[in-house]
Amino acid sequence: MGYPFVSHSRIPLFLKLCIAYFGIVLAGCGTVDLEIHQGHTNSKMQPRSVAILPFTLEDLDPEKVSPHELFRACFFNYFTYLGYVDMPLNTIDQKLNQAGLTDTNKILELSHNELREVLGVDAVIRGRVLSAGNFTGGIHAETSIKAKIDMLDLRTGDILWETEHREMTYSGIFSPTIVQIIQDQMDNVKVHQAYLKAAKIFSLNIMKEIPDPADSWTEEIRLPKITSIETNLKPNLKLNSNDRIYVNMKGDPGLTGYFDIGSWKSNIPLKEIVPGLYTGSYTIKASDDVSSSLIIGTLKNKNGLTGKKFYKDGMAQFNTASTH
Amino acid sequence: MTLQTAKSILNLGGYRYLGMLLLVILVSGCASDLQTKVAGNLNSLSKNQTVAILPIETSHSGQQEMANMFRQGLYANLKQSKFNLLEKYIVDGLLKQNKLDDPAGFLAINPMQFGEILGADAIVFSRINKVERSYFVVHSSIELSVSIQMVDTRTGEVLWRAEQTEQDFSGIGKIPTGITTALLAPIQFVTNKFNLRKMTSKMVDKLTALVKNPENAEKNSTFDTTVIAKNATTDLKKIEELQQLKAEWSRALDLEAENEPDLPNDVKQPATQKEMLTLKTPSSPPAPEKMQEIQVGTPLDSDFHAVDAEMAPLPNVNKPQIMPVSLNALNTTFATPEKVESRGKYSQRKIKPGTTNKKNAKPSSALFTVQVGAYKTKAYAQSLLNKLVKKGYNAFVTHNKVYRVQVDKFARKEDALKLAQGIQQKEKLKNFVTRVQPG
Repeated sequence: MGYPFVSHSRIPLFLKLCIAYFGIVLAGCGTVDLEIHQGHTNSKMQPRSVAILPFTLEDLDPEKVSPHELFRACFFNYFTYLGYVDMPLNTIDQKLNQAGLTDTNKILELSHNELREVLGVDAVIRGRVLSAGNFTGGIHAETSIKAKIDMLDLRTGDILWETEHREMTYSGIFSPTIVQIIQDQMDNVKVHQAYLKAAKIFSLNIMKEIPDPADSWTEEIRLPKITSIETNLKPNLKLNSNDRIYVNMKGDPGLTGYFDIGSWKSNIPLKEIVPGLYTGSYTIKASDDVSSSLIIGTLKNKNGLTGKKFYKDGMAQFNTASTH
Repeated sequence: MTLQTAKSILNLGGYRYLGMLLLVILVSGCASDLQTKVAGNLNSLSKNQTVAILPIETSHSGQQEMANMFRQGLYANLKQSKFNLLEKYIVDGLLKQNKLDDPAGFLAINPMQFGEILGADAIVFSRINKVERSYFVVHSSIELSVSIQMVDTRTGEVLWRAEQTEQDFSGIGKIPTGITTALLAPIQFVTNKFNLRKMTSKMVDKLTALVKNPENAEKNSTFDTTVIAKNATTDLKKIEELQQLKAEWSRALDLEAENEPDLPNDVKQPATQKEMLTLKTPSSPPAPEKMQEIQVGTPLDSDFHAVDAEMAPLPNVNKPQIMPVSLNALNTTFATPEKVESRGKYSQRKIKPGTTNKKNAKPSSALFTVQVGAYKTKAYAQSLLNKLVKKGYNAFVTHNKVYRVQVDKFARKEDALKLAQGIQQKEKLKNFVTRVQPG
């Protein structure tokens, strides 16, 4: 009589516990629900350059850790993994400051045309941290960031995607082990680290959902081209103090040219004397000391991309006895 | 002392179990083993230098997810470092363009080649050694292991090398909060991807801490001597050997020049142009005055050269349209042909003994030939010879200190120059016209 009763009642109870356990354990690490409004099928219409505007905090900041700033920096670090040309954060802030835009809330109210004029990018990411909290007490430890993030196409004024998500790191009565509870308590007390951890998880989760146009650009990527590099270095030639290494390089015109002597001396400027022909030199100083280094020519374009070419017919070898 | 303390804790009657519990807690934290070293030159990298993080090598497809997370973590962490990071989509795009899509082969490629392909000053190779998840009813564990290396493409120097193993587990050792959690927590631990992500993130944080601030490196975390990557060492050695060979070749030509008896005055050149005279195409821009001293081109540099051939050729690298003609062509002593392989379809005006053009002939009845290569090692010369013969050239090897690969013999220099130009255009093989003894 009793046996069937026990078996029927215990199994559902166990299952209930399991469901409750997994429900609680998995809460707070769910996927980001990103709503994509406009998926550009034409790769040329996809925004290429993106600026991440200063995030705002629409809540109090009792811990004085500025979770919105921390989150923005963290978001930027992870966003660079995607195939956009990311404007560095300090450049963005500098441009906004130069335009007299210091109030982050007002920046978000600017029209797409105004933002495009100030920043000169295809799109911006706007982030509003709606709430952020860190609590440690008893056996309960929790840090959360709730934010609304969207991407605004500055060319059209359209919102390309948006999300509102809450990321939470939690530890408490439902944590599976005592060691875990203790560890989480200890971690959560370090407020800055705890926010950073929540921001990282938020960023990682959202990056999986944001459209990545990387594949669209593969064929278009082109480094500055160097067709030849020549120097006056010859095999076994030992350079003495006041000797001069001449470098002559041919490549794409109108770029910034420089050369390196191994890793020992970098960014020695080359001057473009006629379109596509760059020349420069380096005079050996008495204090110079390098055993043998290859000469590497570099051309850099305005996007910061560099093309390199090694001169392999001779190495810079300093006659140390002479230079000293 | 520690042992005694432990014993005293365990011997405290009622506190025995509590003592055991504490010990368990102490040893049950997740284990991490990190071995990392940096080079002093890592400090010299600045925002002017670009570092590329290559796709991660994995030993099987199951590790791909971890590899992606790891690379993403590397980018996010190293973004805060002193150097400039080459964006991931640019790295991947350029590798794809150059058909370098297998990370397992990256370590075999010379860092210099990556330097030219990616325009990077340093590259980061990394490999996932292990992603192991195990489950034994009330115990489960995850073990991750990675290796990483940053190499300066300009020198081949290893700037950073690290190996890290990270382990964590869930089970009795961590004192479950109940029977249900004792059974379910190990399952949740190995199946929830969040744990793997958390561990990977933690791992990358620890791994990159030193690279972000290399100036804080202690002595035991710094290489004692300069370490050059193996693949770079091999290729740098080859470059040096090649340069040595060129130096010897140059010396040999100088020696021959000294022995040259009577040369017409009009062909003698100034000392600054002793070795080579370059005939540039009309489109070539004028070289600056100082560059007149620069050696342009060399008879040893060819697509067929054995040393160069072992370094994988760079795609899309256009050779400069320069056709060097050596003045030493007129200074060389006569070499005896060692072996005449064949007479191919490109042979022009075969010279029979005694049929030289009397108008241009020297009193010594010398003929003109096109030299396409010179080697210290006979096998290399033979290799080039075979290639040329297969293509129908009337090529042969002569030996006088070095093995020279030459093509055809002509009584008239103009004919030889014509063939030289043809070889340059068709075979993209640098060459020059020199004299050779008939027969």
